[in-house]
Amino acid sequence: MGSLKSLSLGAMLMLTCASFAQADAIKLEGGKETNLVLLPKFLGILVFDQANEGAQEAHKELANPGELLFVGPTPENSVAGQIEIMTTSATQGQGAVMLSNNAGDQIVPAAEAAKAAGTKIVTWDSPIPSGNGEDVFVAQVDFGSIGTVMADMAHSILGGKGEMAVLSATPDAANQNAWIASMQEALKGAKYADIKLVDVVYGDDQAEVSYNRALSLVDQHPNLGLIMSPTTVGIQASAKAMQDEGLCDKVKVSGLGLPSEMVSYTMNGCAPEFALWDFRDLGYLTYFTAYGMATGQLKGEIGESFHAGRMGDYTIEADPGREGAKRILMGPFTVYNKGNVEAAAK
Amino acid sequence: MLSKFKSWEGFLFGVLVLILIANSSLSPEFLTLSNQINLFQLSVEKIIVSLIMTFIIINGEIDLSVGSMMGLAACAFGWMVDQGTPAALACIIVLLIGCAGGALNGYFIARVGLPSLVVTLATLIGFRGLARVLVEDRGITDFPDWFDALGQQGLIGPIPLALILFLLLFLFLYVVLQKTGFGRKTYVIGTNKAVADFAGIDTARHKQILFMASGLIAALAGLLYAARVGAVRGDVAFGFELDIITIVLLGGVSIFGGSGTLVGTFLAILIVLSLRNGMALLNITGHIQTGVIGILLVASVVAPRFNLKAILAHAGTPEKKETS
Repeated sequence: MGSLKSLSLGAMLMLTCASFAQADAIKLEGGKETNLVLLPKFLGILVFDQANEGAQEAHKELANPGELLFVGPTPENSVAGQIEIMTTSATQGQGAVMLSNNAGDQIVPAAEAAKAAGTKIVTWDSPIPSGNGEDVFVAQVDFGSIGTVMADMAHSILGGKGEMAVLSATPDAANQNAWIASMQEALKGAKYADIKLVDVVYGDDQAEVSYNRALSLVDQHPNLGLIMSPTTVGIQASAKAMQDEGLCDKVKVSGLGLPSEMVSYTMNGCAPEFALWDFRDLGYLTYFTAYGMATGQLKGEIGESFHAGRMGDYTIEADPGREGAKRILMGPFTVYNKGNVEAAAK
Repeated sequence: MLSKFKSWEGFLFGVLVLILIANSSLSPEFLTLSNQINLFQLSVEKIIVSLIMTFIIINGEIDLSVGSMMGLAACAFGWMVDQGTPAALACIIVLLIGCAGGALNGYFIARVGLPSLVVTLATLIGFRGLARVLVEDRGITDFPDWFDALGQQGLIGPIPLALILFLLLFLFLYVVLQKTGFGRKTYVIGTNKAVADFAGIDTARHKQILFMASGLIAALAGLLYAARVGAVRGDVAFGFELDIITIVLLGGVSIFGGSGTLVGTFLAILIVLSLRNGMALLNITGHIQTGVIGILLVASVVAPRFNLKAILAHAGTPEKKETS
């Protein structure tokens, strides 16, 4: 937990510096017209719908007479579809695109062209790996601290000793890779010396693929004690796979999941602990950022602070994980277990 | 036969005009030059490959491996550049890989005599596997500026290289298919391979050439894709073969071989691209877009084979009188 403390201390220091540089957080003026596009990795995923709810809430609150569009590709056409929508948004002259990037750096030319056409690019959930073509990234949690949280959950579930494997989304999802890297970093600590990370596999954020990958992990690693899946699709599919095969006593599941989807698995012991942040809040904060930038009230410079409605004040800072890129850190997140998951699932 | 092609292409042209009218009246941005270029640019690799696929299908074969070859080409390029190979040299090697992959397909189909469906299904898996082995689970980026610029900026005015290549290739292949002996042989072999053999046509050599051309053009398309998006990973062009084959079939090329034209393919390209673009501009995306295009394809691929044929025959009678 030491690193968490120092991180939050660092964050406080940054906030303090920012408040010196800029006495007051900018209060965004509502009622200005700008058309905004919320572009998820693909449609049909609960967390993205929740982000949309949060964005719609902020849209009403700021009384933007323009449109808020929630458009996205299908899962099998995600990369080409995101590039297409980004390009079309530039053609339409949209004020900003809020992107949860699934295309890796393949989105960069389209995003840069959109920026050149005057459209602001605010990423959320998953940024552009190189940071090119992006104005600012709204980070749900600190990518460094998420590793510690996952390592701690693994420690608690395995009782400090055993083999674990990671089931991720797609190989090129920048957020997933950053979290896995930070967990590997955290696992180097002496406390986790007896926990062994034996494999990292990818379920493409599709339930069926993830389900099968989870089962093949169990086949390949007979001593596996835990599947850590930092994706809401992967964790649910893994938990279902372990439950269906009656493996829950032997192999536990943890990672990032939605309380409403995970509640039964937590209560029956397949997934004793998992963590997440609120996607509604993420959509809400992302909308404030995009609205501020599209209406010219925010310049997107480091040190700039603004007031994001019910969520309070936020500051644009340098992204420690991506050189030259900027982020807004939402944080913190909640660890769910038998004690609190039922309340959160409602 | 000829009148049937003409009426089919006329039908496609009618559909296209309807889509263009709908798009331009519903979206003010549709007819702008930059949108028209984007419309092609977003799918330019697929439509380039659809031109050679027209030959393959008229010839009575199929090449399912083109999407994987595009992926392999892009990944091989990315891997070589990542290893320090000069990008220009990497481009040449990739085109050779395309030829070699196509030659491999051609060998098993033309010389060994295996069905193209089976051979190219195997290489669909094989080429994709190779691509994934090369780049593993990562994305490769940071190509030379000139390479990215060729894919992302206009070469002649605002028109990018890929679009120019598409138009040149269309003209070249149009002449080959309609005006040369090679083109006529393509139809003859597709109509009846046994007859072609008896007529002394070297059908094996012909098919070998077609599949090598298919591999080469797919590799070129893979390079163009890498340049356009400036990054590659293992799933580049995944599933593209289905879109490509669908365009060709929509264009009126018979899956049984022997009939079809490049003009039909060209019209089908314009229909699919304009429809996609129009829906995107109206913010219709995701499953609805896929569904609408799916319905159009079902209607236009299945209907004429069964019902529309009869309808056209009835409706065609007075039409013939007018034209004659």
